[in-house]
Amino acid sequence: MSAVMWRLSGRVIGYGLALFVILGPISSLLLWSIAEKWYWPHLFPQQIGPMYWKKVLEGDMMDALLLSFGIALVVTLLTLLLTVPLSYYLARFEMPFKALIMLLFLLPQAFPQLPVFSNTMVLLYKWDLVGTVPGVILIHLVGALVYAVWILVSVFKSIPVSYEEASINLGASKMRTFFTVTLPLSIPGLIASALMVFLYSLDEFTGTLLIGSPFITTMPIYMYNSAMGYEMQVASITALLLMIPGLLLLFLLERYMKSEYLAAFGRA
Amino acid sequence: MALPAIFIVGVLFVYPFFLSLMNSFKVKDGWGWDHYKTVFELYTGDLLYTVWISVASLAILLVFGILLGGYLRFRHNGWIEFLFKIPLFIPFVVVGHAMRVLLAPNGTLNASLAALGVIDLQNPPSIAFSSAGIITALAWKNLSLALLLLMGAFRSIDQNFIDAARNIGANYLRILFTVMVPMAKGSIAVSAVLIFTSMMGSFSIPMMLGTTEGSQMAMVDLYYQIVYQNNYGAANAIGVISYLISMGAAMYYLRTVTKR
Repeated sequence: MSAVMWRLSGRVIGYGLALFVILGPISSLLLWSIAEKWYWPHLFPQQIGPMYWKKVLEGDMMDALLLSFGIALVVTLLTLLLTVPLSYYLARFEMPFKALIMLLFLLPQAFPQLPVFSNTMVLLYKWDLVGTVPGVILIHLVGALVYAVWILVSVFKSIPVSYEEASINLGASKMRTFFTVTLPLSIPGLIASALMVFLYSLDEFTGTLLIGSPFITTMPIYMYNSAMGYEMQVASITALLLMIPGLLLLFLLERYMKSEYLAAFGRA
Repeated sequence: MALPAIFIVGVLFVYPFFLSLMNSFKVKDGWGWDHYKTVFELYTGDLLYTVWISVASLAILLVFGILLGGYLRFRHNGWIEFLFKIPLFIPFVVVGHAMRVLLAPNGTLNASLAALGVIDLQNPPSIAFSSAGIITALAWKNLSLALLLLMGAFRSIDQNFIDAARNIGANYLRILFTVMVPMAKGSIAVSAVLIFTSMMGSFSIPMMLGTTEGSQMAMVDLYYQIVYQNNYGAANAIGVISYLISMGAAMYYLRTVTKR
């Protein structure tokens, strides 16, 4: 074989392997979601059809879906409201205990969540928040605030101080400068962090399982329960639905936004 | 406006963090090491198992990340980069379920292999519900993070070093392992610590892919202690040990970085 052929076949094998590694697990989910009858050991289902999709989309999965989106929306709004001013302060000004505050927002990234959240659960029990939506929102907020602060501090730091100084020299107040100069410039970063916080809340499992159970069933909990109960089709359909927002976000970030924000994500 | 965020993280994370330290020493009449004794009697094997699973997945990821990250440093390929970012955006529970479907004894992988005549279905191998299943799932989920971190490290290496090595006749693999990896050692160590910590604290994947008998990952033991035994003391002791292991990894990283 010539060198060109070698290189071409090497490339085909490389792409094939990459596709198999990434899409292999996902394609199994697709197959299971349309399998109406699938007897082992056949490679493909005996009977395929949309029966289970219809069943799931008309069933209690929709309640979990709506609940998840509702919680994620509230968490995102609260997070932005709470972290935009804080991140701006942290990025621009010297403030007392700044190092301590940064350390505070580093801790949740550095240690396993489960042992801490199990003690948070004891606290929330005392305040009657276990098994309630506000309790789940609070536990989602912990992780969401941490992500948002780290992303937003770097967003605000990337905006040159000289723009703000020019505006203040021209006689604008600090407030006016923030709302008419800094905030508009930081909108792409704000959108990116809002989307990531939304996705974090939508996918959150550990905290929701501890604080929400048994009354609050979000999408990941619903998926987990049906998978552990060996309802293969229901779990696979829920899993596929749960993947869509993340893939959309990946596409949006690739297309329109800087990928530096990505590295902060992916640890939960 | 800045205070509520600090307040929430302080009350719902930092305070419970210190509570878990305190409660791990609290016994009926005062303070003591009783919970740690219990944990070491019951779970020494499981703690070692947790470290080994994390180290094994990390090793796979580092080899993969260095080879692919190096390749992408030499030849930019946006398509492959995009493909390997996908796992980052797929929730842990979905990865757990997908791996169960793919790797179970009667899963899709075995069925495909049997159709190709590679394995015998009378006696199908089970990857899911074993250590290999947990390792595969953890490694898959962290592919993107490892690649992103390592690519970042390799990209910051000056092109001149690579060109110089190539001019004197070094091939790609040689450049990768004798020039790029040593130069990016610090960043590789940071990535390794980050990934190790997140794997050690992983909970949903071991819950879904672990075996019912045999060793468990530490977080699964912790969860069972709370839910089934209602033994918060032992659970907190496991928690504190897991903090120490994460801190140990971080300290090791700090030492290697400051030594240079």
